[in-house]
Amino acid sequence: MELPEFFAAFALSGRQAASAGAWNARMQTQNPGANARLIAFDLIAFVALAAAIALSAAVVLIAVVLLLSGRAEASPPGEENQGTLLLRTTDGKAAASAPLLSTDVSFRVSGMLARARVVQTFHNASADWVEGVYVFPLPENAAVDRLQMRVGERLIESEIRERAAARQVYDQARAGGQRTALMDQERPNIFTTRVANIGPQELVAVELEYQQPLRYDNGRYSLRFPMVVGPRYIPGNLRVSATEQLGWSWNTEQVPDAARITPPVLRPAAGPVNPVSIRVALDAGVPIAQVASPYHRVDIRTVSPSRREIELAAGAVPANKDFELTWAPQGGGAPQLAWFTEHKDGRHYGLLMVLPPAAAPGARLAREVVFVLDTSGSMAGASIRQAKDALELALARLAPGDLFNVIEFNSTAQTLFADAQPVNPRNVRRATDWVQSLHARGGTEMAPALRLALDGSDGSARVRQVVFLTDGAVGNEEALFRLIRERLGDTRLFTVGIGSAPNSHFMSKAAQLGRGTFTYIGRIDEVQAKMGELFAKLESPVLKGLEVHWPQGVTVESWPARVPDLYAGEPVVIAAALDRLEGEVRVSGTRDARPWEARVPLALNGSGVGMGSLWARGKVDALIDSVREGAPEEEIRRQVIALATAHRLVTKYTSFVAVDKTPARPSGAQLKLAAVPTNLPEGWEYDKVFGELPQGATDSRYAMLTGALMLLLALSTLLARRGRRFA
Amino acid sequence: MKPDLAWGAECAWPARAAERPLARPWKYLALGLLLVGALQFGQGAWIQAKAWLAQALIAQAWSRSLHGEKEAKPWPWADTWPVARLIAPRLGIERYVLAGANGSAIAFGPGHLSGTPVPGEAGNSVIGGHRDTHLAFLRHVKSGDELLIERADGTRVAYQVRDALVLDKRDVWVAKQEGPRRLTLVTCFPFDALRAGGPQRYVVFAFESRNRGGERGTRG
Repeated sequence: MELPEFFAAFALSGRQAASAGAWNARMQTQNPGANARLIAFDLIAFVALAAAIALSAAVVLIAVVLLLSGRAEASPPGEENQGTLLLRTTDGKAAASAPLLSTDVSFRVSGMLARARVVQTFHNASADWVEGVYVFPLPENAAVDRLQMRVGERLIESEIRERAAARQVYDQARAGGQRTALMDQERPNIFTTRVANIGPQELVAVELEYQQPLRYDNGRYSLRFPMVVGPRYIPGNLRVSATEQLGWSWNTEQVPDAARITPPVLRPAAGPVNPVSIRVALDAGVPIAQVASPYHRVDIRTVSPSRREIELAAGAVPANKDFELTWAPQGGGAPQLAWFTEHKDGRHYGLLMVLPPAAAPGARLAREVVFVLDTSGSMAGASIRQAKDALELALARLAPGDLFNVIEFNSTAQTLFADAQPVNPRNVRRATDWVQSLHARGGTEMAPALRLALDGSDGSARVRQVVFLTDGAVGNEEALFRLIRERLGDTRLFTVGIGSAPNSHFMSKAAQLGRGTFTYIGRIDEVQAKMGELFAKLESPVLKGLEVHWPQGVTVESWPARVPDLYAGEPVVIAAALDRLEGEVRVSGTRDARPWEARVPLALNGSGVGMGSLWARGKVDALIDSVREGAPEEEIRRQVIALATAHRLVTKYTSFVAVDKTPARPSGAQLKLAAVPTNLPEGWEYDKVFGELPQGATDSRYAMLTGALMLLLALSTLLARRGRRFA
Repeated sequence: MKPDLAWGAECAWPARAAERPLARPWKYLALGLLLVGALQFGQGAWIQAKAWLAQALIAQAWSRSLHGEKEAKPWPWADTWPVARLIAPRLGIERYVLAGANGSAIAFGPGHLSGTPVPGEAGNSVIGGHRDTHLAFLRHVKSGDELLIERADGTRVAYQVRDALVLDKRDVWVAKQEGPRRLTLVTCFPFDALRAGGPQRYVVFAFESRNRGGERGTRG
C-alpha cells in the first residue's frame, strides 16, 4: 500500500468510526426497552449502516482519492510497480544455422602498451551456406588497425572504407558468392563482424589486431579484455524500421540501432557457447612483483624477472565475463615517467606517462556525497550483492560533518532523503537498512536518476561527489553523456562498474565527462580493496590545472587537448604527434595550492610500435566528443573518415572489409543469415533481465471482502452487546 | 448473508441477554476490528473507485486528444495520458488505453506497453490491464469478436479476436513484433483469484480485420 493510499484509507476509517459513534449515541437515546420491533429496527439500521459505510467509502474516495493518488503515482510507485518487459524477439535458443564461434586471443604487452591479435573462427556445422553475424566487445580505447580473413591456408587483407561504402563492397561480394568479411563499430566497445558465404562444414576466420594503452592506477598495471556484450536495456518507443532483425531488441526512438547491439542471448540452461582462449606475453620492462588474474584461473610462467607468459589454466573458457590481468612493478618502484615514440610517415608519434608523487594528506574538505545504486533487472544476482556491499562500506566510511544521500533506480528513480542529510549514526543506519531492503528488478531508466543526482549546482561550499554504482547495461549511452555534460556543474561523478561484464564505454566516458574517475568491482571479495582505493581518491586533494608545455619550435598535436584533473594514484597520459624530438616537455599542475612540475627530455625516448594508431584513436575520440559540445556532425564525420583512413582505424564511420576474389558459393545454393548467440554474463539472472509480462490484478476484491467481513464481525459483536443491554 | 443471520438469531434469543454483558476488552477489540475492517475495505474500494473515476477524467483528456492536443494529461500531475480508445462492441465496453503498462498507469486504465507500436499502428501492440477492473471483460471475449481501436486522429481500426491463451508471466514472446497488425491484451489469470501476484497470464490475441471498409464513424 502506498503512503497516500494509507492516509486516504485512514481518513476514511476515522470518519466511519465517528459516524459509528454517533449512531451508537443515537441508539442509546432511542432505546426505551426490549422491544422486538426496535430490535428489527436495529437490524435494518445495521444493514443501512453497512451500506452507508460502503457508500461513504466511495464518496470520500471520490473526493480525495484521485487527487492524492495522482500525486502518489507521479512519485516512484511502491508495490504496484512490476518488472518492465524488455522486448525480446528471440526465445533463448540458438538458430539452427548459426555458425559456431571460437576466439583465440594473444597479447603482447611491452611496458605500458598492449597489442592484441583476436582470431574469431566461424565454423559452419550445417549443410547450408551461411552468413554469420557476431556482436562482441573490445576495450573501449582499443585502436583496431588491422583485419584479415583466413580461408583455409590463405590470408586475405582487408581495406578500410567509409562505413556505407564498406557495406556495399561486402553486399556485392556476398551476392556474388565470394567469401567476405566486414567489421563495423557500433559503440567504442561494441563491434560486429559479418562473414558471408561460409560453405557447409567450412571454417572461415576473422583475424583482427588492436593497440591499447594499459591502465595504470594505484601502483598496478591492468589489462582488461571483455568477452560478452551483456544484454542492454533499451529505453524508448519502438521505431518501425530495420530490414533485418538479428538482435533481440527492436530499434527504438531513443536507441535507433538497438537491434545491432543486442545479440541473441542463450538461456544459461542451453549451455555455454563461444569458447575463448587467451595467451599473454608480458614484458613489463622492469622486474615484476606479482601478476594476478582476478576472474580466471591462469598458468603463469616466469621467463625472466621482467617477463612472464600467461595462459588460461582451463585452456578455453566460455565468453561470459571480462578477463583481467594486473601486475605491479617490484618494490612499488613504478617508473615516474615513461616516453615511447614511433617514427611513421615522417612524423613522430609518442605516448607520455608521468606519475605524480603520492599526495600528502591535505586539509579535509566538507563533502556532500550522493550514492546512486542501479537496482535494475540486469543487476540481479551477484551484481546487486557486490553493489550493496560496496555501498554499505561507503556509508560506514562517511565522516561526521559530511552530507549524504542515496538514490536507487530501475524503471523509476527514488531518493532516500528529500535532501542530503548530515552524517550521523541514525541517518547512516537508516540508509543501510534501506539499501538492504532493495531488490534488483525492472528496467534501467538511468536519466531520471542522473537528473536527481546532478542538480547542476555551482559554487557550493562543499565538494559535491556522486558515486554511481551500475553495470552500465544501457543502449542510450550518448543521451546520458549529454545529460551529464549539461547538468554536472560543480559536482564530480565517479562510476563504479559492477559485475562480470560492465559496459566499459559507459564507465570511462561518464567518469571523463563527470570529471571523476572509474573503478571496477567484478567479485564480492574485491569490494573492500576497490572501494578503499576509491575512498582514497574521493578524500585526497586533486592535482588540478594540469598543463603540458611542449618545447618551442616543435609542432605538436596532442590528446587529450585538456588534461583532466588527477586523483590519487593516477598518472598523466598523453598521446602526441610531433615533427621533431628536441627539447623537453614540461607538465605542471597544482595540488593543495602547491605547484608540481615534471620535465621529460623528448630525445630520451624508448621506441615502440603502434603509437601512431593510439594517437589517431585519441584524436578520433576527441573529435567525436566535440560533436557533443556542438561541433557540426557532418564536418566531424569527414575529419574522422580522413584520419581513420590514413591510420587504418575502425571507427563509427569507417569499417574494414575483406573480399576473397574467388567465388565459392554455387549460384543455385541459398545463403542463410544467422546471428551468433551469446552467453548471459556470469552471475546474471535471465528472467530478471528479460522481464515478465505486466501484472494484471489488484488486491481490491480481497481487501473489500476481508474488510467487509471484519466490519460485520465487529458490528455484530457491538450490536450483540447492545442487544443484551436491552434485556 | 450469514453474519446477519447470526446476529438476527442472537437478537431473537432474548434469554441470552441475561448473561453478563461484554467485557470492556471485547468492546475495544470490536472497535479495533471495526477500524481495521473499514481500513481494509476502504483500501479495496479505493482501488476500484480510482480505476473507474479515472476513466471518466481520461475520457475528457481523450476528447482533447481528438482535437489535436498531444499527450493530453487527464489531470495536471498525471504521468500518463490516453493513447487510444479500445471498444468491444458486442459487450458494449469502452476503455481508454493509457501510455505505459507500468503499475502506476494501469491503476487508471489498461496500459500500452511502451516499446510496442501505439495501438492502431503496424505491428504488435501490447496492452496490459487488471483482470478485476478494466480488463475484467476479457473473460467474456470470444474468438471472432470484433475489437475497435480509436486512434488520436479519430480514425478507427477493426480487429478480430483470434485466440486467447493462459500463459506464464515469463512468456514474453507474445510481444514479438513479426507478423500483421494486431493487439495483444494481457491480464492476470485466474479471473476470480482473490489475491494479486500470481504467475499466470490470460492473453487475448486480436488481428486486424481484413475488411477495413467504413472504419470511420462506425460505432458498436
